[in-house]
Amino acid sequence: MTSFILRRLFQTLVVIVLLSYFCYTLMTLMPGDPVELMIQSNPKITSEDVTRLRQLYGLDQPTYVRYFNWVKTIAQGDLGYSRTYRVPVSEIMGPKLINTMVLSISSMILSLLIAIPLGVIAALRAGTRWDYLVNFFAFAGISIPSFWLGIVLIIIFAVLLHILPAGGTFTVGLENITTFQMLLDRAKYLILPVLSLAYMEIGIFLRFTRSAMLEAMRNDYIRTAKAKGLSYWTVVWGHGFRNALLPLITVITMSFAHVFAGATISETVFAYQGVGKLVYDSIISNDFNVAMVSFMISVTMVLVFNLIADILYGVADPRITYK
Amino acid sequence: MKKITLGLISSFAIALLPFQSIAALNNGELKIGITQEFENLNPLIMTMSATTYIYSMVGRSLVTLDADGRWVTQLAKQIPSLENGQAKFSTDKKQIIAIWEILENAKWGDGKPITCEDFKFSLEVASNPNVSVGEKETFTQVKAIEWDPKNPKKCTFTYEKARWDFYQLTGFKPLPKHIEEPVYKKYGSQKEGYEKNSNYNKNPTLEGLYNGPYKIAEVKLGSHVTLIPNPQFYGKQPHIKKVIVKLIPNTGTLEANLRSGTIDTVSSLGFTFDQAIAFEKKVKSENLPFEVMFKPSITYEHIDLNLENPILKDVRVRKALVYAINREELVQALFDGKQQVAIHNIAPLDPWYTADPKKITLYPYSKREASRLLDEAGWKLEKDGLRYKDGKKLSLLFMTTAGNKNRETVQTFLQGQWKAVGIEVNIKNEPARVFFGETTKKRKFGAMAMYAWVSSPENNPKSTLHSSNIPSEKNGYSGQNNMGYVNKKVDELCEKIETEFNPKTRTDLVHQVLKYYTDEVPVIPLYYRSDVAVRPTQLTNFRLPGHQHAETNEIENWDIK
Amino acid sequence: MTTAVISNQVSQKQISDAEKILPMWKIIFSQFVEHRMAVAGLIIICFYVAIALSAPLIKKITGLDPEKQNPLSRYQKMMTTSQASSSQKEDAITLFIQNQPDQAKTLQDEIVAKNLIQVVRSEDALFDLVNKDSIEMKKVISQLEAPAKAELIKITKSFEVFHLFGTDELGRDVFIRLVYGTRVSMGVGVLVAIASALIGLLIGSFSGYHGGIVDTALMRVTDALLSLPTTPILIVVAAVDLDKVPGARLIVSTSNENIMKLVVILVLFSWMQAARLVRASVLSLREREFILAAKTMGAKDTTIIFRHLFPNVIAPLLVSVTLGVGNSILYEAALSFLGLGIQPPTPSWGNMLFNAQELITEAPFLAILPGLQILFVVMSFNYLGDGLQDAIDPKAIRR
Repeated sequence: MTSFILRRLFQTLVVIVLLSYFCYTLMTLMPGDPVELMIQSNPKITSEDVTRLRQLYGLDQPTYVRYFNWVKTIAQGDLGYSRTYRVPVSEIMGPKLINTMVLSISSMILSLLIAIPLGVIAALRAGTRWDYLVNFFAFAGISIPSFWLGIVLIIIFAVLLHILPAGGTFTVGLENITTFQMLLDRAKYLILPVLSLAYMEIGIFLRFTRSAMLEAMRNDYIRTAKAKGLSYWTVVWGHGFRNALLPLITVITMSFAHVFAGATISETVFAYQGVGKLVYDSIISNDFNVAMVSFMISVTMVLVFNLIADILYGVADPRITYK
Repeated sequence: MKKITLGLISSFAIALLPFQSIAALNNGELKIGITQEFENLNPLIMTMSATTYIYSMVGRSLVTLDADGRWVTQLAKQIPSLENGQAKFSTDKKQIIAIWEILENAKWGDGKPITCEDFKFSLEVASNPNVSVGEKETFTQVKAIEWDPKNPKKCTFTYEKARWDFYQLTGFKPLPKHIEEPVYKKYGSQKEGYEKNSNYNKNPTLEGLYNGPYKIAEVKLGSHVTLIPNPQFYGKQPHIKKVIVKLIPNTGTLEANLRSGTIDTVSSLGFTFDQAIAFEKKVKSENLPFEVMFKPSITYEHIDLNLENPILKDVRVRKALVYAINREELVQALFDGKQQVAIHNIAPLDPWYTADPKKITLYPYSKREASRLLDEAGWKLEKDGLRYKDGKKLSLLFMTTAGNKNRETVQTFLQGQWKAVGIEVNIKNEPARVFFGETTKKRKFGAMAMYAWVSSPENNPKSTLHSSNIPSEKNGYSGQNNMGYVNKKVDELCEKIETEFNPKTRTDLVHQVLKYYTDEVPVIPLYYRSDVAVRPTQLTNFRLPGHQHAETNEIENWDIK
Repeated sequence: MTTAVISNQVSQKQISDAEKILPMWKIIFSQFVEHRMAVAGLIIICFYVAIALSAPLIKKITGLDPEKQNPLSRYQKMMTTSQASSSQKEDAITLFIQNQPDQAKTLQDEIVAKNLIQVVRSEDALFDLVNKDSIEMKKVISQLEAPAKAELIKITKSFEVFHLFGTDELGRDVFIRLVYGTRVSMGVGVLVAIASALIGLLIGSFSGYHGGIVDTALMRVTDALLSLPTTPILIVVAAVDLDKVPGARLIVSTSNENIMKLVVILVLFSWMQAARLVRASVLSLREREFILAAKTMGAKDTTIIFRHLFPNVIAPLLVSVTLGVGNSILYEAALSFLGLGIQPPTPSWGNMLFNAQELITEAPFLAILPGLQILFVVMSFNYLGDGLQDAIDPKAIRR
């Protein structure tokens, strides 16, 4: 087991390094460079300025040299410097990371709260009108472009009804307010992005819960439990749902791994100050350091969660052995 | 699905009800909306317009250009000139020496006086190759700064070259030496070391960093900046007790925020032109307490002609292209007449402007003249309504930035007008980063490329017209003469303008350049953009400058009535 | 007595039913038809495919052009009619006079002769006519008698355009753009899904059949690609300048760059699911008796893969293609929405949303309509995929 984990850890590390080079090269293939974006449409910049800045930023070096320089700074524990904001990456990344976590986790919780009961009901009432309706709701969820849902929500709640802010993260300039008021204010800005993100997740989780539950309810032990005379709900929750939970947890773990970059477009639509928007902006403005750090965090999270899922499988399921 | 449609229908019904009233400005607080990103506020490093906008509230230069287009003092007592004796040529006539005296009461936010030392320090930092200053010449045009130790407020600037515009030192911002020197000493030898560790970066709320009417209370990059009055400001104290600049990148959202009172005003870095026009109509019809302000600016929308294109090599074709378009109708139809037709690259706001037909060549709309020129050039009209020469169709590629609605509308408008004289124009647009990053500088735009130059008044056209600035492999594609325009005379004139001190002679030289510019038509002038801003009716003394020196240079005058 | 007869008849019918051996596809079909929503999805998809295929026909019938702009009638509401600008009218007349000088002359003469309108110069009569407002113009035209009248009516008809769904920010007709957008969006979706299924089939079966280092290497690549953050990576790749990639120009030429590039990008990052699916089923099939039998009979690897393995993985692959179309449409929309996918002026549902977001207060329908199309089509594909899955999966739960 230990040797398996070590081997997988090593493999993961190699994959991360290779992917970082891959991403770095991809970034260099985009047209324009940070200097060009800086001088765009400013006729006052001289050609000397351009050459000087390119040299200073090391843009005149070949890709692999630039990549190694980047790795060197990363290895020293320095995340680098954002060329757009001209501050260290760690400084802008921190608060935005928290914002994104808040957004992603609240939408995940909301979607689980809605999806699990609905999914269970749909499975128990399979084939009825209820099931159809819930299914329809779920299918719409996985089919709706979340950014479009975002726009529609803005049109309804912000432009037409004026009851919720159209975008942003919190009201700027509020003073002398209690923590509770501050939280309330934040919540107001969270509602629309959370809704637009959660609906897609509801769709996924709902379909998953429903099929897992259907599968579980067909097992022999359910029949046994029923035959023992246990109450209906004890059978459903105690025996059925508990067994459906295992595959569900895997799905939730995996979607947790995508928390980091999953909200890119929604955050852009709502101008929400999270990493997703930061990643988008950094790509658009060729801010290498910010984009690379985000890629690496995101990739690492997915790979590590994969690893954890694999190990958990081994622990939970005695039929699986790792050599 | 059903729920959504139902919701939509019901909300459309509600939309018919009038909007709620907008909260009145109160507590002497002003919340300004911008759509563009801003960076850290180090005056040497900043390059974004939004940063300049914010910095002008907290930091001042020796001089600036005001909303009337006049040079006025800020930190300086007076503007040195040859006439007032504060500036003189060096003995070899190659340099100029000027005396800049700093206001007695000019202080940093922590009470330390601003002295020549701060300017010298600024120059020293900017000259360091490890510091990524954008327009370095802004600083290095000054070769040395000296002063008498007894009066550290009276500085003698020795300039590298004897250039007439030596006094336009807006970009030359002082750095607080007493705060920034330790950082610079420690990190100045590392690549980008200073800017990474500067106090503007690490402690942006340090009051000693600023000398303007406001100081920074809070900065959240990508979100907002909160400003409070700086009691040490040399001028009169600002009326507004708190200013918040809020970044809302999406212009649609910005408008929603303005209507809900989350922001009070939209800066010149906010609305798109289209949106401003639409919003103005709403202000009128719903009687909202706003004024949408339009100010003609010097931002110059134009079409660069690729002079390497075999068809465009013929000046008659280029002239015909200009004659064939009705720019008056264009600005009327698309901009409600709120942007001005351009006749060359210098805007009416600029002292160098001229519309005198004796000095420059004008191209009033004339289909007939266009047709005549094209006939003369050998392009004959055929049955299909297009022109041909030796079996070749008169067909030109027209490119601009994709997704820019204004430009795309203009593009089709022009396409239609050219078609009317038998010129086929094909449109191909690219995202801005490809368009500017590759296409324009490598002159891969086929025939025509439409975009804008943003600059300041009395700006030497050298960078866009001098033949040495044609981007090429040799100069690392860094020049900005994207047309590939070569004219020895214009080269000479541009160089002369640089060192001509007599304003009248200088203007004459510029007009000579304009003569060539309008005669040889390397560029089709379209219109000068207008800056737009939304002013709440309660806000007074708010003026839009129309050039790159932000309106916040006068923020201490703003008041809420 | 009667009841006994009925029950007897029923049981006989049941017996004969049970004795009949239904072919495989019939079973699948009958099971598929049971899934009503899937059938509905299929119908909707057929409808959209029909629209996509007949787009040029619709263009011809309605006379609308997805790229024709009219800067003077922007943001028209739904169900409105727009007028051509006077210069557009004059251009049409100029062309008419140029191409059919005789006919134009007769019309001019008739107008002048009958003194139908105030004419300053007789050769400008037609121009003056079309610049009148439409009611008056029609009245005058109806009084004309020359045979060339028909031609004039045809020209004047093109001055008025009816907009079912209004016009967009450049005065283009939204309806015809949606129609053409269907073509682009669904085309991209289908192309991507099929291409990635084929690649997935090849790589998955190769990897699964061979096992060993090849398998490990290919699966590591698959995992690595799957671990990349999809949206940001797609944004980067979509922005890549093809001139900087050696060899890219061989596949993608400048003329079709836009759409082909998007297809290639989406395929590049979506074949992994199919590959995994195929590999898993090949792994289980590999040890089955009929494969072993083929091997002992000396069949070549390629024969085994193409003749024996492929037919057995087609069914699950079909499901993944169907679901893949939906996903690809969503990704295309997302990228175009960010301005990185299909470039204007080619309309796609995604890039129609791109411009619409800025003016949601002025013209909300511009943002709502394309999104609704995406929702309908993607949902139909998802239901169809679900129905197919139920139909081919013997373990599927019947409703």
